[in-house]
Amino acid sequence: MSFQRYFVGAFLMLGLYSCSVFEEKIDYSSQVKPIINKNCITCHGGVKKQGGYSLLFKEEAFAKGKSGKIGIVPGNAAGSEFIRRLTLSDPEERMPHEKDPLSSDEINILTKWIDQGAEWEQHWSFVPVQKQEVPQVSNDWAKNDIDKFIFENAEKQGLKTSAMAPKEDLARRAALDIIGFPATDKTKALFLKNNQYETYVDSLLSSPAYGEKWTSMWLDMARYADTKGYERDAGRNIWRYRDWLINAFNADMPYDQFLKEQIAGDLFPEPTENQLIATAFHRNTMTNDEGGTDNEEFRTAAVLDRVNTTWETLMGTSFSCVQCHSHPYDPIRFEEYYKFLAFFNNSRDEDTYSEYPVLRHFDEKQRADLTRVDSWLAKTVSANEKKELVNFLKTLQPSHNSLKCDEMVNAALADTKWLAMRNNSSARLKSVNLEGKTNLIMHFKVYVKGVFEIKTGGLNGKTVGSYKLSPEKDKGAWRTIELPINATSGVNDLFFTFKSPELKDPNVNGIMFDYFYFTKGLPKNSPEDQMVFWNLLNAQVEQTPIMLENPADFSRKTRIFERGSWLSQGNEVSAAVPAALGKLPEDAPSNRLGLSLWMTSKENPLVARTMVNRVWEQIFGMGLVETLEDLGSQGAVPTNQALLDHLSYKFMNDYKWSVKKLIKEIMLSATYQQDSKLTPEGLEKDPSNRYLARGPRVRLSAEQIRDQALVISGVLNTKMYGPPVMPYQPEGIWNSPYSGDKWLKSTNEDQYRRAVYTFWKRTSPYPSMMSFDGVGREICVSRRIRTNTPLQALVTLNDSVYVDLSVKLANKSLSLAKNNFQESIKKAYVFATGKEIKKEKFDILLKLYQNTLTLYKKTPNKSKELLGDSNPELAALVLVCNSILNLDEVITKS
Amino acid sequence: MEKILKEALIRQLEKETRRNFLKGSFMGLGGLALGSMMGCSSGSKTANNIFDPQNPLAPQSPHFAPKAKSVIYLHMAGAPSQLELFDYKPELAKLDGQDCPQSFLEGKKFAFIRGVPKMLASQAVFKQHGQSGALISNYLPHLSTVADDLSFLKAVTTDQFNHAPAQLLMQTGSARLGRPSMGSWVTYGLGSENNNLPAFVVLTSGGNNPDAGKSVWGSGFLPSVYQGVQCRSEGDPVLFIKDPNGISRDIRKASIDAINEINQAEFKEYGDPEILSRISQYEMAYKMQISAPEVMNINSEPQYIHEMYGTKPGKTSFANNVLLARKLVENGVRFVQLYDWGWDTHGTDAGGAIDIGLINKCRGVDKAITALILDLKQRGLLDETLIVWGGEFGRTPMAENRDGKPNAFKGRDHHAEAFTMFMAGGGIKPGVSHGETDELGYSALAGKVNPHDIQATIMNQLGFDHEKLTFDFQGRSFRLTDLEGKVVKELVG
Repeated sequence: MSFQRYFVGAFLMLGLYSCSVFEEKIDYSSQVKPIINKNCITCHGGVKKQGGYSLLFKEEAFAKGKSGKIGIVPGNAAGSEFIRRLTLSDPEERMPHEKDPLSSDEINILTKWIDQGAEWEQHWSFVPVQKQEVPQVSNDWAKNDIDKFIFENAEKQGLKTSAMAPKEDLARRAALDIIGFPATDKTKALFLKNNQYETYVDSLLSSPAYGEKWTSMWLDMARYADTKGYERDAGRNIWRYRDWLINAFNADMPYDQFLKEQIAGDLFPEPTENQLIATAFHRNTMTNDEGGTDNEEFRTAAVLDRVNTTWETLMGTSFSCVQCHSHPYDPIRFEEYYKFLAFFNNSRDEDTYSEYPVLRHFDEKQRADLTRVDSWLAKTVSANEKKELVNFLKTLQPSHNSLKCDEMVNAALADTKWLAMRNNSSARLKSVNLEGKTNLIMHFKVYVKGVFEIKTGGLNGKTVGSYKLSPEKDKGAWRTIELPINATSGVNDLFFTFKSPELKDPNVNGIMFDYFYFTKGLPKNSPEDQMVFWNLLNAQVEQTPIMLENPADFSRKTRIFERGSWLSQGNEVSAAVPAALGKLPEDAPSNRLGLSLWMTSKENPLVARTMVNRVWEQIFGMGLVETLEDLGSQGAVPTNQALLDHLSYKFMNDYKWSVKKLIKEIMLSATYQQDSKLTPEGLEKDPSNRYLARGPRVRLSAEQIRDQALVISGVLNTKMYGPPVMPYQPEGIWNSPYSGDKWLKSTNEDQYRRAVYTFWKRTSPYPSMMSFDGVGREICVSRRIRTNTPLQALVTLNDSVYVDLSVKLANKSLSLAKNNFQESIKKAYVFATGKEIKKEKFDILLKLYQNTLTLYKKTPNKSKELLGDSNPELAALVLVCNSILNLDEVITKS
Repeated sequence: MEKILKEALIRQLEKETRRNFLKGSFMGLGGLALGSMMGCSSGSKTANNIFDPQNPLAPQSPHFAPKAKSVIYLHMAGAPSQLELFDYKPELAKLDGQDCPQSFLEGKKFAFIRGVPKMLASQAVFKQHGQSGALISNYLPHLSTVADDLSFLKAVTTDQFNHAPAQLLMQTGSARLGRPSMGSWVTYGLGSENNNLPAFVVLTSGGNNPDAGKSVWGSGFLPSVYQGVQCRSEGDPVLFIKDPNGISRDIRKASIDAINEINQAEFKEYGDPEILSRISQYEMAYKMQISAPEVMNINSEPQYIHEMYGTKPGKTSFANNVLLARKLVENGVRFVQLYDWGWDTHGTDAGGAIDIGLINKCRGVDKAITALILDLKQRGLLDETLIVWGGEFGRTPMAENRDGKPNAFKGRDHHAEAFTMFMAGGGIKPGVSHGETDELGYSALAGKVNPHDIQATIMNQLGFDHEKLTFDFQGRSFRLTDLEGKVVKELVG
């Protein structure tokens, strides 16, 4: 460690030393800002403004501090207090305070910059993407424009680009990158036999497996999981969102549309069911079912998470720090966090147990019924009323959740989620708009006969409704009924009372409520149609949590949280985007839809760059900006900003946001097709392959490792979509308190589905995927960090899944090799690597086979334990196959 | 000057390259170095993250000479009642059964208490023990005998009164999911002394994982290699460590040898140092397969040790885990985290009653913890092993009245304002009692200590300045103690 620190210091000195030689124009972003960020901003920036002076925003830096002196006077370093304070000898006055002084080189840069006029630039990633000049490079190596940027950059680093990779390597590489596992022989033949690389790439891009592969990537960003999180971490039904992603990737939905639907699909005019499902992107936030928790706290936590996720994963900007103070390094102000939060603060969700709002999925018969209800309503009520009632059937919204009740007497929120009332109890539900409403539809259960009353103005106020309720046969089951209410105008606080003389024990609940929906009610004609409506409403159907915006009479105000704490709320703010990044497009509504239009406008400097950088990282193992999560001034320096901007511009303008076109362009570059062998020179000059003078060579992701093993051993079940599956995992991994949930191993073919379909429990994710750097998906993680550990070896060596697949691979190879064991070894290797085995490697495996065979023959029991039957030959071959699945060349993309 | 530095740099790179050098890919170090060599683009990315992805568990030195080499953290999940164990409050007995004073309730929120609850006297009998005169109740007769080895924090406070967030705060420094656990930070900072065992081991008992799930030993935004490895008393002690059925030790050895030989050939062809790193990981995996089950097998311990700890091999129990913890630290594991579930004594049933269930829970841990202290002492390991005991919060001096009615049994609700923890060994001054609560044990009066202070103290004993062990993520430097944490000076000597 100390060695590293020493060296960092040495490198910096070296860098500055060489810089000081040049007499050129000082560049703010690359020369000045790093010095300020490193030495000044902690005390004179977003968090603190010591001495009343900040260097974060231009107007602050050019202003007076507490001392009354102007910090930076453009063109006049000698007259700038900022420079004077760097050079004083009094340690009390000299800056940085109580730290080592800046080096004379650093002071030199700052001085020159001010003398040259102190040009204050935006950080590059905050400036809209410009069309780039393609470098003039003429050589035989370059195949497309990407290569010209790469070549020029590599040359500057003194690196020589590499020749094309062996065809087998390239065929495997492209398949792993596009579909996530090796291609079939038939597909590969397009390239290996017919030499049509582009056709091969096209064919991979049109495979349905492409969508599954790229969805895997998106799920980390969406923090997708099949459970709700927190203590109980109970199941959540949200897999249709995962399927939506697969379809969207496969259909090559333009990326701007892809984002618009996920951010604001519900606000589209007449949104389709798919567009509603897309909004589940932001319903992957966690829900807390633990008793005694504050629903508003966790609703707020979900909203904050939506804000942070939107910025980090879609706009490559760390935003969460702005929750408490202005961004320490980038020009985003504290208030702007809350203005942005206001876009997300008016969705209907409230940390309810059922995760309302939901989209209810009807079966075919129910869909026919819905059509019938629709046409009945079309004939009898206004178009608006019809729409309201049909939307209610589909989403159960807009309803008042009973967990919003307060002023409870002899009543409580059961498990903090449902209003439960006893004999002689009361509760209040604030701010309900009853204007024009004639009926209440409520979801509740009642255990005893009793009278439920609703009043306005107080417990003894005007009666809105008084109802005698009694349990049905299935005592205490949830049901939904409609009750008439007295005409009441305007917005009122409602007071609920419940009385039941039958309840002798004063401590026993008599009634429990889930939600209240006030409406004009159903038309009174056609009892048959009414019955269809009620059957649909009471039907138990699968449902997906979605985003729905609050209608005006439900809307919430957004306030600043002082010091980031939701408990101390300050001034009210309205929705806006940070000023440094422009404003909503003209005519765009000031809601999530408008926000999505701003994000996907070509003026937005971050969205295209972030996605291009991410796609690049998926393919090359490292982004053009290494920190995918932060393109801001505190992120890594781009290795090739011109290329990033070139591709981002083309992505938006030429490819019309087509992700497939972007991937194809990369695949067709000479850069991508390079051999990945390292030369000693390459290793010395560019150990981590930032400048791409060789092809990518990186370990496969957790998902790729599983999927590839399934393909190699010939058991992959290509079935797409549907509820998550539970492949083998060791006993006793799940042990959640207060939850009877169990890992129920899926049957037969579902054992062999792709990793993307594996059930994801947040507090206990699938263990072998975690070993290979999977993430918990509690919050979004935009970049997995690849590690190399012995626990990974243990997975592929010993996990029953991989032993089982080794047996499958052995049998498959054996039958192809017509029971010739030596030939089977060769076959198994070809399945695993896509190329013929070299003699040296074959000899090693053959020796392993023979040694193992001798051992198995000595103890025939062992082979029986492995296979169920005593078969030393097969057992030895299984061992060889297990070893093949563990080879570096198999778990690595070369 | 430039030339000399450049030469030194290249020589260093060469040396490191031979030894699997790929640091630059994460830390920005390589990029920084090259940038400096090639021109003016000196990077702005700070190099605060101190690990090498190719050898992330390489041993590292802490900031200063450590007092403790390892930590055994005994977390009683569910939160034990300090009023029945350590925080003796005779005044509370006088108010038993009376209405709780309004001042305790105004503006306060409880998980389950509603309306006005009754005060509830301690159900235990207290006595002073040892030279230090430590107050320990009759619920913990064994522990009382080692009173002088313990140091108490009597005024621990937290700001979370639900299990999952409070456990997260205690173990990760944040009540929200997504931050690295203490053990992960320690592993990130120290690496591993013993490559044949996981660096950070978690052992659970009591029938359930802690409420916050595996996130309390997760690595958060640190690389997943730093997460705790849950070892189990039943089945494989470490997941996938056992050779599969039908694959014997020599067969496994032969196959790992073959894998590594082929990987050597692959390295010759591709020249990627990561291949060498993979070879060493497979060697380590094999060694781990041999030594981990050995270390994690308590059967071979002598009978007197079993009697001392109250262990019954083959079962999952807290006592077994405690004995295992001793074996692990003996073998160089830095952080052993035990979770014992079932301390949530609300009084809704007999198992959760402070005069029934709690006594049983105490019986399950009392002997084993005492044995751990004595056993470490006799092995000369207590000085370098820090033992930490505690829950995620405390319990109310009022009886719980769930939904406004008295509970069926005697129980206490969650209480964030005052509870007791203790530490022993690892350079902690023995026999200290720090902090005090008011006469009813409701609030901390003096010597308040919060979870970040506990964390800072543990890190201090391990040789870390808790403010300096950081990791850059989402644009800022994170640390275990967030923006807080003070070392409890009264305990560290």
